[in-house]
Amino acid sequence: MSDFKELSESVISGNFRVAKDLTQKMIDGGTDPGQIINEGLIAGMNVVAVRFKAGDMYVPEVMMSAKAMSIGIELVKPLIAASDIPSTGKIVIGTVSGDMHDIGKNLVVMMLESVGFSVVDLGVDVKPEAFVEAVKEHKPQIIGLSALLTTTMLNMKETLVALEAAGVREKVKVIVGGAPVTQAFCDQIGADGYAQDAAVASDLCKKLVG
Amino acid sequence: MTIQIKESNFTDNKTLQFKVLSVEQIKQILNNTLRILENTGSTVHSEEARTLLKNAGCSVEGTKVKIPSKLIEKALSTAPSKIVLSDRNGNKRLFLEGNNSYFGPGPTCPNFRDPQTGERRETVTQDVANTAIVADALPNIDFVMSLSMISDCTATLADVYEVRAMLENSTKPIVGWTFDVDGLKEIVDMCCAVAGGLEELQKNPFLVIYCEPTSPLTHTKEAIEKLLYLAERKLPVVYPPGMVLGGTGPMTIAGALSQGLAETLVGLLLSQLKNEGAPFIAAIQGGPLDMKTMQHSYGAPELTLLIAASADIFHYLNVPIWSFAGATDSKVVDQQAAIEATLQIFATAASGAHLIHDVGFTDLGLTGSLEQLVMGDEIIGMVRRLIRGIEVDEEHLAYDVINEVGPGGSYLGQEHTFMHFRTEMWKPTLLDRQGYAGWEAEGKKSMYDRISEKVKRILHEHKPEPLSEKVSKELDEIIAAAEQRVRIKNA
Repeated sequence: MSDFKELSESVISGNFRVAKDLTQKMIDGGTDPGQIINEGLIAGMNVVAVRFKAGDMYVPEVMMSAKAMSIGIELVKPLIAASDIPSTGKIVIGTVSGDMHDIGKNLVVMMLESVGFSVVDLGVDVKPEAFVEAVKEHKPQIIGLSALLTTTMLNMKETLVALEAAGVREKVKVIVGGAPVTQAFCDQIGADGYAQDAAVASDLCKKLVG
Repeated sequence: MTIQIKESNFTDNKTLQFKVLSVEQIKQILNNTLRILENTGSTVHSEEARTLLKNAGCSVEGTKVKIPSKLIEKALSTAPSKIVLSDRNGNKRLFLEGNNSYFGPGPTCPNFRDPQTGERRETVTQDVANTAIVADALPNIDFVMSLSMISDCTATLADVYEVRAMLENSTKPIVGWTFDVDGLKEIVDMCCAVAGGLEELQKNPFLVIYCEPTSPLTHTKEAIEKLLYLAERKLPVVYPPGMVLGGTGPMTIAGALSQGLAETLVGLLLSQLKNEGAPFIAAIQGGPLDMKTMQHSYGAPELTLLIAASADIFHYLNVPIWSFAGATDSKVVDQQAAIEATLQIFATAASGAHLIHDVGFTDLGLTGSLEQLVMGDEIIGMVRRLIRGIEVDEEHLAYDVINEVGPGGSYLGQEHTFMHFRTEMWKPTLLDRQGYAGWEAEGKKSMYDRISEKVKRILHEHKPEPLSEKVSKELDEIIAAAEQRVRIKNA
């Protein structure tokens, strides 16, 4: 059992090199892959989530922890059926047309993945048509639109118009976020949800698919 | 007996200054920048720009451009080392050279603190007009920006409407922002109408356009097109990266300075390749990502330190300098707002940056505030007194009057006091220096009460010089044509 604790600790401290070695050792030693994930890697990430919410950990530390967890999961993945990896839901996300910023969006992706969402990240400067295509191809429950600039957030509305025109607007919930975005702006353009930061975004998505 | 008095430091070197970087450190940062430009490269999303760069000898693969350092050296030698900005009437006002510091508001706030109700609400055209009126009235605000991203007009013409409102409500030089080249053309047309033609505007420019690279090391099509358009017409452009340290820039300040310099220098190179001698204002901006709230902090001391260091770098490179001060992360104009604004204003002025914007920013740059602008004016006045330093010559050493008053006398009734008190002492307009009883008698007002009253008074009383009817009509026509352009585009 102490092995799992050590693995959890490596995730909590963000020591991804140690997390990788320990995971590999456990696989080589014949430890149950499900246990490696649930009792080692995810157990560690659960502690991280609590500490982050309490303000005891900062984002760069959470990101290193997430990296440690996913390196471990990547090693274990080939050994188990895809259906055994828990998935909360599917989300397509991207920064809207004209905007090249992606830090906030990447943070949201990380938070969503750490609570079990499968995330399709379309990147930056995503044209409205590309969101439409992605909805048709990936059939997500949620689309996330990000913008940093006050000058590009207007393109969120254009994306909603394109989804409407393509007849797929009703198939997805659309959430918006980014520094200049507000709940009022969200309501005004007719989006389904707004979150002021990545932690709230993850709660919002859980609520929307729940 | 005569004492030989040497010429004082005051006449040689009139301003108080401080430096953050040594020349050796500047060279290290510059070398790091050249290494980034040559090895890491930049992404340039403009075909015209890539062609210019390729023809000049850069390696271009897809959108990735790698720039040899000799090109940067050449561009630095052809870019003007000083720029003079005029007022709307063609009088030369701002001399962007040496250690001359000029202050103004910032751009694109989607929210505004209503000066009458005190409520935070969406920004409207009247806010731009009000910002211009207040900036026009304040003695220490030298240029106008809109503090706005207005919501009560055709959305994609906010940039054009804002410049019009600024032209109508102030004669001070304007720094505008734009969405794209279409809007930029209309803005330049409006300024040409005011100046009496492009040639007049070029001779006495009162318009600077703000466009920015996207950190890290990315140059969007829109930003570059605007920059090239202005370079072609020899109109001044500022191209400041807005990094977030730990996000879009390295966490360490020396690293962020290196990357930011690489970003603004790509703009400088492109402006010179398009039109040698085109006026370019350089900048490096970047505050830390607050790792708890994930917000870009304007009030952080690291941003102030970085911006002061950037002034050292551009003084060394001999390029006009864009900078930042007078902003706060606070949601209201309070103690935090005063602390943050004061530190920034002192550091930027003492570092000798030239065009210093963002006075009036609150709420992490998302809410414009006339109160913050008015408080900034007071702080700038105070700081300018510090920067002016101490004059040391026979008259100021005051030997004669000391001799006359002698031990136990008084200086109050002396002519020397009468002659010097107005110039030697800065006089506050908002800071309270009353005795307790006087303060009580005037209604026990707080600093904020006095600021708010001053804002309202300026808005009520200050009448900026109007544009002529003929020019106003020309602006109407340009706006009508812009509306028509948008209608066609949306049809």
